[in-house]
Amino acid sequence: MSIIQPIDGTTETTLIRRTVLSQNKWEFLVINGVLFFLSIIILFPILYAILTSVRADRMGLVLAFSFSPDDFSIGHYTRLLSTNRFLQYMLNSGINSIGGAVLTTSVTALAGYAFARYTFRGRDVLLTFILSMMMLPGLTNLIPLYKLASDLNIRDTYFIMILVYGAYGIPLGVWAMRSFFISIPKELEEAASIDGANPWQTLLYVIVPVSLPGLAAVFLINFVYNWNDFLTALILLSSTAMKTAPVGLFDFQNQLSGNENELLAAACVIIMLPGIFLFSIARRAFFKGMIEGAIKG
Amino acid sequence: MRLNKLYPYILVAPAITLICLISLYPTLYSFFLSLNRMRQGKLESVGLQNFSIIVRSSDFWESLRHTIVFGSFFIPITLILAFLLAMAFNRKLPLNALFMTIVFVPWMLSEIVSGVIFRWLFLPEYGVVQYIIEPIFGNFNFLGNPAGAMGIVTGASIWRTIAFAMLLILAGLQTIPMDLYQAAAIDGANRRQIFWLITWQLVRPTTLVVVLLLSIQAVNTTGMFLAITEGGPGRATEVLSLYMYREAIEFFNIGYGAALSIVMFLLNVLLAIVYFRALRSDLVWS
Repeated sequence: MSIIQPIDGTTETTLIRRTVLSQNKWEFLVINGVLFFLSIIILFPILYAILTSVRADRMGLVLAFSFSPDDFSIGHYTRLLSTNRFLQYMLNSGINSIGGAVLTTSVTALAGYAFARYTFRGRDVLLTFILSMMMLPGLTNLIPLYKLASDLNIRDTYFIMILVYGAYGIPLGVWAMRSFFISIPKELEEAASIDGANPWQTLLYVIVPVSLPGLAAVFLINFVYNWNDFLTALILLSSTAMKTAPVGLFDFQNQLSGNENELLAAACVIIMLPGIFLFSIARRAFFKGMIEGAIKG
Repeated sequence: MRLNKLYPYILVAPAITLICLISLYPTLYSFFLSLNRMRQGKLESVGLQNFSIIVRSSDFWESLRHTIVFGSFFIPITLILAFLLAMAFNRKLPLNALFMTIVFVPWMLSEIVSGVIFRWLFLPEYGVVQYIIEPIFGNFNFLGNPAGAMGIVTGASIWRTIAFAMLLILAGLQTIPMDLYQAAAIDGANRRQIFWLITWQLVRPTTLVVVLLLSIQAVNTTGMFLAITEGGPGRATEVLSLYMYREAIEFFNIGYGAALSIVMFLLNVLLAIVYFRALRSDLVWS
């Protein structure tokens, strides 16, 4: 392929841009048409669940399309939210997810800072070690963890869930925090140390404030992953008092009698809300986290 | 000052400790467990017996076959759809942000929530999809049919994963410098040539990464199967991970389950090796 040296770069590019634009009109219509159709297919199960959750009981599923205002009822939501067991599950989910995310965020902020700013013996080995843990499949790890936790009598506790969630988020978190700290100019800390701050003070008063966006991103991503986790909770939790919402949903599906589908749908909608809400307010952070998690190094 | 030299280690210590405790140690422990069996609540060393049982177990081979069937539909379909979507999003059309958000909604759902909803769309007599497709399929009961049940789980998994695969490919596409396309256009290359000679050559490494991640997911996926079919009808959709879960957690065969988890671990390592080989030869080639 020969690369033509454009004599007059501007006319070349405007020419290209113009042909691209005239093609674009049709492309725009076709691509957006396809995307629109696809969006409907993608959203259908979710919209259908939402629609089912707000209609009155026992009408049979076939009627769901012929939805009339008379059928509207938030009864399933009020019923769920006044059921102690469901509230307990939600509370457990909240405690485990927040606890795990706080743990991940704090330890990865420290480690990420060290990896970004210091050269020390074994740095690269340690970083590779941490990142390689991302390759460990979850289930392989959960069987022995189940045995260990049973032996130590810490199954069915917030303690073990927070530790496990906290640890699972570390590889991605370290990577994200490290790249975040690298992007912060070093002069900031140098100025602080010239002003006589010790390393801990520099970290607390200079680094933490400017790195709040990074910390928030790591926290949010891990919170959503923990909130949505099903398998870890299924294996490590078995008492009703400690179960999380996804595990409760699984039990509920298994004990379901025919006419409680609307209630099940309402539970699905409540459980999916935090993930969708946090994603919609912090899209960029999620995209970045996903790309960095997959293509590291 | 001595303290300054220790400082980075102090910062790294909590993360390393936690990973060793929760990720590394249990994995090593599962190698030990795989050489044992539970008898009256105690571990009893049995050497490699668990592994010889695995090799001779028809349930194991059957579940491995189910995993391979699942993967051979899940991986290519997800990849192709994700690739097409990424190409569309790479055009930077005005409504992209909206569509992108929509495509990502399933990925933000818990496996169990997606599973419950999909299962419920196909419930006989009750499921709405079952109702919609009645003119074509008649009263065909998807959940009660081995191929149908596998199809639902595959469809649900594709539905949930497509956004993730798409994002990675899109990130790959966006690293291709615009001048390459402009140069090709000036040289009079047609669209097909532009795709195969520029786009495809440059996103191939990214595509390989996506294939590896999808393969790992195909081997390890459990939640979706538990939520939708629980291995049924019969054991027709009992994939490797579900078989292991059953043995270890439901039947308390911890030793055997650990041995199975080692087999799965090796399968993952094998996939990673294949991928690194492919990636390296790919880089040398281009």
